[in-house]
Amino acid sequence: MTQQFDAIIVGLGSAGGIMAEQLTKAGLRVLGLEKGPEYTDDDFAVKQDELRYYQRGAIVAGVSVDPVTWRPDDRATARVLPWSAGVLGTDEPLYGLPSIGTGGGTLHWGCAAYRFREADFRMRSAIAERFGEGALPEGSTLADWPIGYGDLEPYYERVEQEQGISGRAGNIGGVLQEGGNPFDPPHARDYPMPPVAQGPGDPPFVRATQRLGLHPFRQPLALNSTEYRGRPACVNCGFCHGYPCHVRAKSTTQVTSVPAAKATGNLDLRPHSRVLRIHRTADGTQVRGVTYVDGSGRAHRVEAPIVILTAYALENVRLLLVSGINGNGQVGHHFMTHNFGWFTSILPEATNPFMGTFNASSAVDDYTSELVPDNDLGVLWGSPIISVTGDLQPIEAYHNMDPRVRRWGLDLKHWMRDNYRHMHRMYSQTTNFPYPRHYCDLDPTVKDRWGQPALRITHDWEDHDANSVTLFGRYKERIAHEMGARAYWMDSPRPPYHLSTHDVGVHRMGEDPATSVTDVHGELHECRGLYAVGGGQFVSYGGYNPNQTVQALAYLSAEELLRRTGAGALRPATAGTVA
Amino acid sequence: MAASVGRGPPGSATARIPEIDPSEAHRAMTTDNPHTDVLLFFNPAEARELDALVDRIIPGEPGSPGASEAGVLRYIDQGLAGFLRDLQTTYRRGLLELGELARRSGRGRFADLDIPTRERIVADLDRIGREDPDDFTGQFFRIVREHTVQGFFGDPAYGGNTDLAGWRLVGFPGAQWSYTPDQMQPGFDASRIPMFTVSDLYRRLGDHR
Repeated sequence: MTQQFDAIIVGLGSAGGIMAEQLTKAGLRVLGLEKGPEYTDDDFAVKQDELRYYQRGAIVAGVSVDPVTWRPDDRATARVLPWSAGVLGTDEPLYGLPSIGTGGGTLHWGCAAYRFREADFRMRSAIAERFGEGALPEGSTLADWPIGYGDLEPYYERVEQEQGISGRAGNIGGVLQEGGNPFDPPHARDYPMPPVAQGPGDPPFVRATQRLGLHPFRQPLALNSTEYRGRPACVNCGFCHGYPCHVRAKSTTQVTSVPAAKATGNLDLRPHSRVLRIHRTADGTQVRGVTYVDGSGRAHRVEAPIVILTAYALENVRLLLVSGINGNGQVGHHFMTHNFGWFTSILPEATNPFMGTFNASSAVDDYTSELVPDNDLGVLWGSPIISVTGDLQPIEAYHNMDPRVRRWGLDLKHWMRDNYRHMHRMYSQTTNFPYPRHYCDLDPTVKDRWGQPALRITHDWEDHDANSVTLFGRYKERIAHEMGARAYWMDSPRPPYHLSTHDVGVHRMGEDPATSVTDVHGELHECRGLYAVGGGQFVSYGGYNPNQTVQALAYLSAEELLRRTGAGALRPATAGTVA
Repeated sequence: MAASVGRGPPGSATARIPEIDPSEAHRAMTTDNPHTDVLLFFNPAEARELDALVDRIIPGEPGSPGASEAGVLRYIDQGLAGFLRDLQTTYRRGLLELGELARRSGRGRFADLDIPTRERIVADLDRIGREDPDDFTGQFFRIVREHTVQGFFGDPAYGGNTDLAGWRLVGFPGAQWSYTPDQMQPGFDASRIPMFTVSDLYRRLGDHR
């Protein structure tokens, strides 16, 4: 007999964990299908192992299980991306998809918990107003979001309070706050915890940017700086970005929402369960359930009037496409990803870059989003510049070494000996505009072990992407000079990666069913009860890390879903409506 | 091999383990038997060739061990018998290519050449690896270099980084449970922090393995 549930959630990660908590608390009987393990604290009791987690990607899926292929354009043949230790163990950079298992990408993330700015939701209009319609990138499908910052603000706040974010809001109710980011969008109240302990390599960045007249601020992080909701403060172990947390200080849904959902008794959580197909009614207008394979390879069909895809933007798209759900041809389009513009400096003082988390540091927002200075490179949208001071183990340091130095012999050995403890990094996340030529579809030849097509990415860096990296490289260079850097170098403006954990836009939200995949609340225009929630819904992409907005959308979608099903009556509704 | 420590059946294995001061645990794990006296994948001739190659990627100096002394060969050999098994053929074929280059440069095998000749060959491999990403020999060199760095700087549990040679070289304190606010202060002399390995952390947690 086919099992029936009120709702099926595919992927118990960043967004799925939150949706599961909200739905089960409202009394829905939820089936949670997670393709990775159900992790417990025992799994991560000792995780201080660079080879296991960072170099071999122990908690991300490998190419043999989840192949993703890439090609620069329509004419090229795609190849399997070498992420997660690679097909040949190459020395190409490891840019993996998010972790799998309960917690998903929030298991290994660097915890950067930025809200988007007001202007990020109306990027198209803001560019047209400042530079004129003619400046809009030619052929781009750039659009404004159907919601604004004000619509999402209460949900950002829920993420901050419920998941636990540390930081210092720079703008509370329109009043600038001492020590915060003066360019912050307005917050209703401060973060629930102060910033985490500052990385030892961060003060030179703060002093240098202040001398340059910029406004450094401590980054908001999904990491406890104090005990919060029964979880301890971060102990600064320095194995954070790319690693699970051994003390439960990192705000991952593995320790926040998933246990809360289980505690309701309404969550049937099935790990090692990989969804193969989404089922709909014969006319395709209503979802019916899914088929998944369990850890022993046996297939099961389960049914529910609500199916929520929260399996990461790219896997959401793959599941829709293999299920033949793409009525208007928009699924997989509008692909956007961040170009990080890595910049490494060697500072005169020791930075001890192995201490504390990646982002236990500061950033400047003076050039961010619509605040990008007038420039000769035609760059239309800016980014924060972020100081990175922790989480740097020796193998990763080698990958970041000065490209001018010979990479073998005593040159290599002495470079590591003399520079490792003085390394400081900066990055920016420059915007990608969506173009019809950047998209995801099913690879015609590469299959996974269940015989299903791999996802194929067609993407290349545009001139604007490269120019943005070049422009922000100039700003970083100025900061590096001011820090007194003995040496510095930066990544190529057209880096070799085309995928990270920051891929978005591929099941775009919108009000027009002809030009978007989901509505504002994640429900597919073409199929009632079928939701695809997360970064895939993003309409444009500024310079901030995506997860805070992914989780805000999850709270928003859960609330609306409960309202639509009538189950919202079981719990008090949150005030505020969404356009 | 260090693999005999604590990996066998509870009774027999523990009987062979001497009393260990927990703060010295990483020494016991790694200095017990630093020699590559067991091979899990390579034959002895291949092992000798590869050892000579990794020795030129991260060379030893007086008082400062290199990749060979730090057991990188063991790291790669154990890796190829397990996690890296898809690369077995790459290594076998790569070592044949290395032997061919050695024959063309002088007499005998790569490991028998003098250091300047070996370095000329490594410089060629490095150049090929940079200039032609599709050339097999260059690709082989890039993989060996990557694994050399991994074996030199990875946790000693993987067979390399003997005596924490890699971590001592650069001043990385290893697998730390935490850093205190004092240690997080700018200018703190991190060389004062005792180094720990994954094995040490397991021991500190108690017998939870």
